[in-house]
Order: sequence, then structure tokens, then C-alpha cells
Amino acid sequence: MSASVQTTAPPIAGQRTPRRGASLAGVLAWEATKLRAQARARWVLLLSALAPIVIVAIINGQGRPPKDTLFGRYIHHSGFAVALLMLGFAGQWVLPLLTAIVAGDIFASEDQHGTWKTVLTRSASRGQLFWAKTITAVVFALVVLLILGASTILSSVLIVGHQSLTGLTGQLIPSGTAARLVVASWASAALPMLGFTCLAILLSVRTRNPAFGIAAPVVIGMIMQLFGTLGGVEAIRPWLLTTPFESWHGLLAQHRFTDPLRTGVLVCAVWSAVCLAIAYILLRRRDITEG
Amino acid sequence: MPEVLAVDAVGVTKRYGALTAVNDVSLQVAQGEVYGVLGPNGAGKTTFLRMLFGLIRPDAGTIKLFGQAREEVGTHVLDGVGGFIESPRFYPYLSGRRNLEGLARLDGGATPDRLDEVLAIVDLTDRAGDKVGGYSFGMRQRLGVAASLLRDPLLLVLDEPANGLDPAGIRDMRALIKRLAAGGLTVLLSSHDMGEVEEICDNVTIMRTGSVVYHGGIAELRERAPDQGHRVRTADNARALALAHQHHGGLRIEADADGDLVAYGTQAEVDAYITTVVTDGVALRGLELTEAPLEALFFMLTESAPGGVPHELDHAAAEAAR
Repeated sequence: MSASVQTTAPPIAGQRTPRRGASLAGVLAWEATKLRAQARARWVLLLSALAPIVIVAIINGQGRPPKDTLFGRYIHHSGFAVALLMLGFAGQWVLPLLTAIVAGDIFASEDQHGTWKTVLTRSASRGQLFWAKTITAVVFALVVLLILGASTILSSVLIVGHQSLTGLTGQLIPSGTAARLVVASWASAALPMLGFTCLAILLSVRTRNPAFGIAAPVVIGMIMQLFGTLGGVEAIRPWLLTTPFESWHGLLAQHRFTDPLRTGVLVCAVWSAVCLAIAYILLRRRDITEG
Repeated sequence: MPEVLAVDAVGVTKRYGALTAVNDVSLQVAQGEVYGVLGPNGAGKTTFLRMLFGLIRPDAGTIKLFGQAREEVGTHVLDGVGGFIESPRFYPYLSGRRNLEGLARLDGGATPDRLDEVLAIVDLTDRAGDKVGGYSFGMRQRLGVAASLLRDPLLLVLDEPANGLDPAGIRDMRALIKRLAAGGLTVLLSSHDMGEVEEICDNVTIMRTGSVVYHGGIAELRERAPDQGHRVRTADNARALALAHQHHGGLRIEADADGDLVAYGTQAEVDAYITTVVTDGVALRGLELTEAPLEALFFMLTESAPGGVPHELDHAAAEAAR
């Protein structure tokens, strides 16, 4: 650097006056600004909108339907079956990955850029920063799910059609009812997705490593699914964060049952609360020695 | 002078396992003062300043800023305080201006005019729209000052602000700090450069391995500094040393590790000694100044140099002896 500085003295306040301080809304707006500026977040939203169209078109073009997959045998009969096939697939690792891309990075990126010391020497408290980042990650997850779900359902209906859907017990579900149930099924994925968002937040705070924060929730989700397929774990299976991704199955039976949905709400709430509580305490108690 | 101290730290200690990074440090900075915290790397300066900002919690002691502690008023303790720790960091994918806008939001917001004003003060108006990722180190340093000024501080805390800058950048940064101080700002500056502190500060605390070894004014420190040393190289150092003992008893002269002679005394005494050496027929091959007296004192205080720490300045030793 060799640029000279101005010679005029800066205006300096004569007395220390209490600052207005940061509001949660202000901190939230700042987090949203940073997120909008990140190409990665924009790509996720764009892919969530476009990828389902391509995938539905490919599935529709397949001569041999995946009969061993839930709703796989009906993909040429109804677009709603395609939307549900896609939901089953998305719940395995796509949804955890999409939310982790932001949630797993949102705290750790401050470590990566060394900016904790920059933001924590302002008027915003650690609590405000924590909740602003958490809300941002949660809203992003919901927006991604909304775009992905809407794109999947619309493209499935437009490409394959809105014929009646054959339910899990072989019953025929009229088109209008099927549409509502498919939307409800996609909406049910919001809860485990929020659970994975909170898990990614915890890993982001704990590891301070964006790569780990993004990849680990996906790996953990896969391990949970693998564990869930083992025998002798019936008591534990409902408490796995991946199980609520399947809770919509009861909606598609002849005699609908919603117990898995109710259990899923509880399980996701517990996972979210525990992850957020630990992450909050870690951030509050942390000494910022790096950067 | 206002009664409330800008900084009032008492008995501040921070330990990391067996390592005591900051040991019972007390430090008072009056409003309007330009205060230096001086010490070599690892002395605990940055850890102390991080505690001042609340980035690190002390294990013992209290820190009050303008009479208030974080435990009492939360983040409002930093009202009227601006600054940065080590090199300031920003979001590289945002422009300088967007970074400042965002940081202002964390303080309740700032007007566009105020943003323009602080960018102009640090001479970044022309580059304000560029992404920070493309800024040079010096530009980020100046953006750090701009971000600090956005808070309309009464106390500016700068941790080694000239670190990593080229000579022109150092000159500009020092000029900026002096100009801010001249405007009535209290400045708390950490540095490992005695010359920088001597040039800018009124008072100084010198730290060594986490402890304070000196508190006081620069003027007082200057008085206590050793005489300027002169390194003397001759064709016959043994004869030159003998001449010093015979004719210049007031001069302290010793051989350094390279066998050269180092003479300590007033300028008149050294001049007379050199004249004697040359008159006696001993060829003079070299004559140069050793480190500046204040720098020499700094090394004595912080490195346990061969001369040792002057006892009257060794606060740590005095505390231990108590």
C-alpha cells in the first residue's frame, strides 16, 4: 500500500453515547444479504428448480420402470407416482445435502474467513448472531424444499399426467385427492429437513469446518438409513432422524394412519432442540482465538 | 481530563492449560490518551486485547470500558469502542462498501453519507465497489480502520496496525493514527515495534510472556534508557581497549560476540575516545551506532538480554520479591 490518506480530521463524537444497538431483524437482513451474494446458494435454488424437470423427463422415457421401488411400477400410470418416487429418493440424501450446503457452512464460514472477530466487535450479541444464522438456514431449507417439491410435482403432472394414483394398498386414489396427498407428503419432509438443518448447524459450530459441516450430515443420514435397515433395532428406528422422511407412507394407505407423522414431529423436534441447544452453548462459551 | 477511564483493566489473567497467556495484567488508559501495549510476539498483547473486546473470557480480573463491564451491560460495553484485532477480516465475496454496510447493520445502521465519509477518511472511495477479495493487505487494513470509525468511537483499539504493511503503508497508517488521535480520540495500540510506540504513544505498558514489566510514560522510559552504544572496529582492538581503560574511565566499553568493541557513554566521551584511538596510531576500521537506546531497553525488558533487566524497571521481579 502506498496511497496517501486525507489530511482532514474525521468527525469524532465528544461523549460516549449508548448506541442504538443491533436488532435481530438487522442481523437477519445482513445474513440474508451474505447468502444472496453467495453463488453456491443461488446454484442450489436454481438446481432445485430445474433438476426435477430433467429427472422426470428421463424417468418418463424409461421403458422399464423401477418396480422394486416405492411407486416405481406406476411411474407411467400417473405423474403423482413419479412425484412420490422422487420424494422417496430425495429423502435418502438429497434433502439432507441441500440443507447442509447452507446450514453446514453458515457458522463455519465465519471461521474460514476469520470474520468472527469482525462481527463480534460490533453491537450484535452472540445470541443475535446465532438466531439470525439459524433462521436464515431454516428459511433457506424451507425455500429449497418448496422449490424442489413444486418443481417435481408440476413437472411430473405436466410430463406424465394427472391420472388417478394407485395407493400403497392397491386402492385407486382420485386425481384431486392424490394431488393433495402428494403435496402433504412433500410437506411432511419439512420436519426431518429442519432436523438435518439443525444437525448441520451443530456440526458447523462444533467443527468450524465448512466441508465437514456440509458433508457430515449427509454421511450421518446414510449411516442412519443403513442402521434402520438392520434387524433388532425396532425400538431405536423411530428415533432416527431419517425415519420421519418415510412418515408420509401412511397417507397413501387405504386406511390412513398418521402415527408415524406424529412420532416424526416429536423426533424432529427433539433432534432440532438438542442440536440447537448444544450449538448455542458452544458458540456462547467459545473463545475466539483465531482469525 | 474526564474522570472515567477509557480502559480500566485490573488483574486480568487468561490461562490455556498450563500456559498462562496473560498473567495478572492491570492497565489504565485515560480518555484522550494514546497508549501503547508493547511486547514481542507471544507476550500476550493480542490475548489481552481480545479479552477487552469480549472475544475471550478472562479467567480472573475485570475489564471496564468507560466505567462499564461486559457483565453489567452486555455488548453495550463496546459503545464508543472501535478497532480490530490483528489483521482485520472481511467477507471476500462482498465489496468494501457492502462489508461496511453489513457491519453497520450490526450496530443499528449507518447513513450512506457516513459510509462515504469513513471511506474517504481512509482513502478507499475509488475502490469501495470492488470485492474485498481483490484488496491488498494495506487496503484491508485501511478498511478495518474505516469499519472502526463507523462506530463513532471515542476509543480506538488497534492491534499491530502496521503489521504486514510496506514502508509507505506503515507511514500512512501512522499518519492516520496520529491524525485521529489529534482529533481527540483515545487510542490503545499494540505493537512489537518500539519505534512505532515511541513515535505515536504518550504512555506504554511493556509485556513479557504474559506479564507486565513496565508501565509508564515514554518520556520516563527515554530517561531510563541506556546510553547510545557505538560499535568500534579497529586494527588493534586490544590496544584500543587498553586506551579506554587508561584515558576514558567514564566510558563503559565491552567486547561483543564478534570481538568488536562497543562503547557506551555520552557523545562527547565517545568523540574523545575515538580521537585518542586515532591519535595513538590505531587504525579505525569502522564506527557505527548500535540499536537505539529505547530499543535496547525494550530488549532488556523483554528478552533478558546479557545486561539483564534494570532492576528498577522490572515490575515482575519487584512483584515476586514482595
